[in-house]
Amino acid sequence: MVNDTYLVAKPERDRRPLRFVAFGVIAILVFSVLTTRLAYLQITNGQTFAARAEAQRTVDEAIPAPRGLIYDRKGRLLVSNVASWTVKIKPSDLAFGRRLDVAQRLGALLGMEPSDILATLDSAPGSRFDPVRIASDVPERTARLVSESTAELPGVLVSVETRRQYPDGPLLAHILGYTGPIDGGTYAQLKSEGYQQDDMMGKAGVEATFEEQLRGTYGTELVERDATGRDIQVLRTVEEAVPGSSLRLTIDRTIQKEATQALKWGMKAAGLKRGVFIVMNPQTGEVLALVSLPSYDNNLFAKGISVKAFSKLIKDKNKPLTNHGVQAHYPPGSTFKLVAGTGALQDRKITPSTRIRTAGYLSLGGSRFYDWNRAGFGMCNIYCGFGHSSDTFFFQLAGMLGADRLAYWAHQYGFGRPTGIDLPGEAAGIVPSNQWKVDALGQRMTGGEVYQAGIGQGYVVVTPLQLINAYAALANGGKVYRPQLVREIVGPDGKVVTPFKPDLIRKMKLSQATLRTMRLAGRATVTLRHTYNLVDMPVKVAGKSGTAEFGLRDAKGRLPYHSWFVGFVPRNPHRGTFRRATSELVFLAFAYDSRTKGNAGTEIAKAFLQLHFHIKKDYLNHDLLEKGNFYRSN
Amino acid sequence: MRVMRAEPGRFTDVTTRSVGAIWRAYDLQLTTYVVLLGAIGLIMAYTNSVESGESVLRTGTTFTRALMWSGIAIVVFTLATLFDYRWVKAMRWPIWFANLGLLVLTLAVGTGVGGSSRWINLGPLTFQFSELAKILMITVLAAYLGNREGRLDSVTSILGACLLMGPPWVLVMMQPDLGTSLVLVAILGGMLFMSGASLRWLLAMGLGALAAIPIAWTYILRDYQKDRILSFLNPTADTQGAGWQVFQAQITVGSGGFLGTGLTNGTQTRGEFLPVQESDFVFAVLAQELGFIGAFVVFLLYAALLWRILACAWGSRDPFGLLFGAGLASMLLFQLFVNVGMVIGLMPVTGIPLPFISNGGASLVTLAMGLGVIQSINIRQFARAEW
Repeated sequence: MVNDTYLVAKPERDRRPLRFVAFGVIAILVFSVLTTRLAYLQITNGQTFAARAEAQRTVDEAIPAPRGLIYDRKGRLLVSNVASWTVKIKPSDLAFGRRLDVAQRLGALLGMEPSDILATLDSAPGSRFDPVRIASDVPERTARLVSESTAELPGVLVSVETRRQYPDGPLLAHILGYTGPIDGGTYAQLKSEGYQQDDMMGKAGVEATFEEQLRGTYGTELVERDATGRDIQVLRTVEEAVPGSSLRLTIDRTIQKEATQALKWGMKAAGLKRGVFIVMNPQTGEVLALVSLPSYDNNLFAKGISVKAFSKLIKDKNKPLTNHGVQAHYPPGSTFKLVAGTGALQDRKITPSTRIRTAGYLSLGGSRFYDWNRAGFGMCNIYCGFGHSSDTFFFQLAGMLGADRLAYWAHQYGFGRPTGIDLPGEAAGIVPSNQWKVDALGQRMTGGEVYQAGIGQGYVVVTPLQLINAYAALANGGKVYRPQLVREIVGPDGKVVTPFKPDLIRKMKLSQATLRTMRLAGRATVTLRHTYNLVDMPVKVAGKSGTAEFGLRDAKGRLPYHSWFVGFVPRNPHRGTFRRATSELVFLAFAYDSRTKGNAGTEIAKAFLQLHFHIKKDYLNHDLLEKGNFYRSN
Repeated sequence: MRVMRAEPGRFTDVTTRSVGAIWRAYDLQLTTYVVLLGAIGLIMAYTNSVESGESVLRTGTTFTRALMWSGIAIVVFTLATLFDYRWVKAMRWPIWFANLGLLVLTLAVGTGVGGSSRWINLGPLTFQFSELAKILMITVLAAYLGNREGRLDSVTSILGACLLMGPPWVLVMMQPDLGTSLVLVAILGGMLFMSGASLRWLLAMGLGALAAIPIAWTYILRDYQKDRILSFLNPTADTQGAGWQVFQAQITVGSGGFLGTGLTNGTQTRGEFLPVQESDFVFAVLAQELGFIGAFVVFLLYAALLWRILACAWGSRDPFGLLFGAGLASMLLFQLFVNVGMVIGLMPVTGIPLPFISNGGASLVTLAMGLGVIQSINIRQFARAEW
């Protein structure tokens, strides 16, 4: 052993075996601790962690469903879906300190005010994890620029969406409406119906009324995401998206164009600001054309309307966003004489041959009620009274009926309540009765007010749609149909889900003889040349013109007025008769605030007839559309 | 009867010995374990480089860089084995100054993230000289302490070792690189402990170091380092912020289960839920893809390697060999414990690589150098009869 020892005692050498053992023990401890912990994580809790890993890397994402298309009655496409680049911000990925910086950079790229971007971001409903739409319909070049600078734009997402495109724009804007982003306030309710926070939905027109049918159903897919929330891949489709159903409208785009052209011509010639033209099939309640001017381009909304453009539309005092045919009511004037005439005949106050004295005015309770013709028409039956539109004649009929019977017949024709057309925001109009007056003003109708109601003045207001629907009932023999805009709903598989069915609201309680008399009285309006040369046209028309005073008197004591014409043609427009209730075309022209020499409504109706029936000869009286509050005709 | 000398005498050159004797002295087991661990490192580099539709062999991937560094490491390992380690004893001062110079250079021209300077760019590659500093300091300390054989019980030896370690340690701290500086402390402690130095003095030094921690917390540690330690102490408090890494690492490890998800199937890594998955957190990927079984096999390889290094140290007649082996073993065990412990939530997050497996050229080349020296020691231990 001497060989193995050192000469000098060296304590460190003696300690080394123990130190090596100690190191070994420490190493064994280290490996034991690591192995135990690893077993705890991987074997004991492996399932839990695997589930957590799965949960944080996968997410259910909605697959958008294509929105249903809209066609006219002849199958012409009125709405299509086009791809559109959209820029969104996911607030949770945008640090508060970088908001302003990102808004400025993004604003510069998109040409938007940074403050607008921040305002949009702040007003968005939903959670911080829901992307907020900042700009829609971004040009592809800009979209690429934005997506290439993601490093400087944290939280900004660029995606392709589909948006609505309305090829005809203003022509059909009031019928089709538009889609727009969901309002912040309504999202909480819509969420349960399967809407996404950044969804688009129908906001006006049939886009809004048939939202449920058009929108389709979201599918679901399981998507793998990375830690920053970016999609890596689609793992599987959980549920396929179901495209929305398509609509085939009752509207005929050709007739809509003719009506628009005629109305535009009349409005331009007479210098008018607002107008309505409606064409219907009285046998079914189908609306063939529904024009309200001024119109707007609904593509502006589909693309995401700017605040400036929107406030311009809102501030326009002619209300281009309002469908004046449906959403507004106006005094009907003499066209309302249909109600008093029908009522007096059916209530047997008069017969078709009863002659009543007409005069320049009637006196009642110390007031004078003037006829538009200060000379009167002498003794007049219903054909003469309606044909010449004698006010004193209808004052007397209204007096015979009384306020409540007059209101009864007005309600029979569908006045005083919405027609139920497939458009949002329909106005109800007003039919004054004693009860109505008591409720509204606390007293019964006076005799003078009943006179006024008889000629469609005073408290009476109607929507153009109610008025044409009443004349449609006259033309079809007393059936009041609900006006409809949609002919068929076609499922995504091309099968018709809901076929067209006329929707009868009411069969009027009166005899066909009464209506026949009124139709012939309407024909007399034309044949007596109350509507000038309308009778000379190669198509036979029965109807009624109207001049309805409204607003405030001018310096000379004259009131501004609207002019109306509502009429219909027999089934055979050239040789038919009005004795039978077989008309298939009823039309209405409404000219708002038309201070023209003649009735602008009649001229516009004639313009439409010329276009619709391809009449080569021009029957239009341009001189009657000149300015001048001179000629008054009811 | 001959007197044993404390100093090894003039030695016979290795070339004068028979090839057979050298081969018998060569530790084939150690080389095998090293190669296997290196291979696992390459496999992990591969799995971290796989991206759909791209070749893993294109330039710039973790895998191609790992392949290149592996080649360099093999050359370094072979050269270190062939090189007579005893020369370095004589060169300990030049080595110490060279190390200091490299660390100063790193501070001067180095690059890093967040204002730190840790790497020096060498053409297309980067090299972290603080990694090299570990092996160089093991060498210097082994030479210094080995030279003081017989006086190792005295406090002067301990203080001397601490004085040698001091300047490089401060330079590493200045980078700042907390992880490497901790490894240097572990190396120092491990070598002093294994050298047989007085436990009383070592304990006194250790307590002194502990007392310095509050001072270090206030004046030396950067905010991000404090965050990491705090988040380790309370990992669930802030799973989106500083605790994110710790939390995600545990999810990654745990979701591997017993058998693992299979190579390249790690879902956590594909989604980049796990930061620095190819370097400091590579063990999480390994544990997820290869499972408990794979991780356990890796542990076994490390244990076997440690055993071979300690056996070499034990068998060395030369105190330098003993101390070098002790230093290398301490370094490996410490790095393994801190890195794996960090991944599985036992230790705070520090930038300490997992030997052989973390992607990093400097770490691999340094290890190859150290293990080459171990083999060099192995084949140069002469039979007692020769003395």
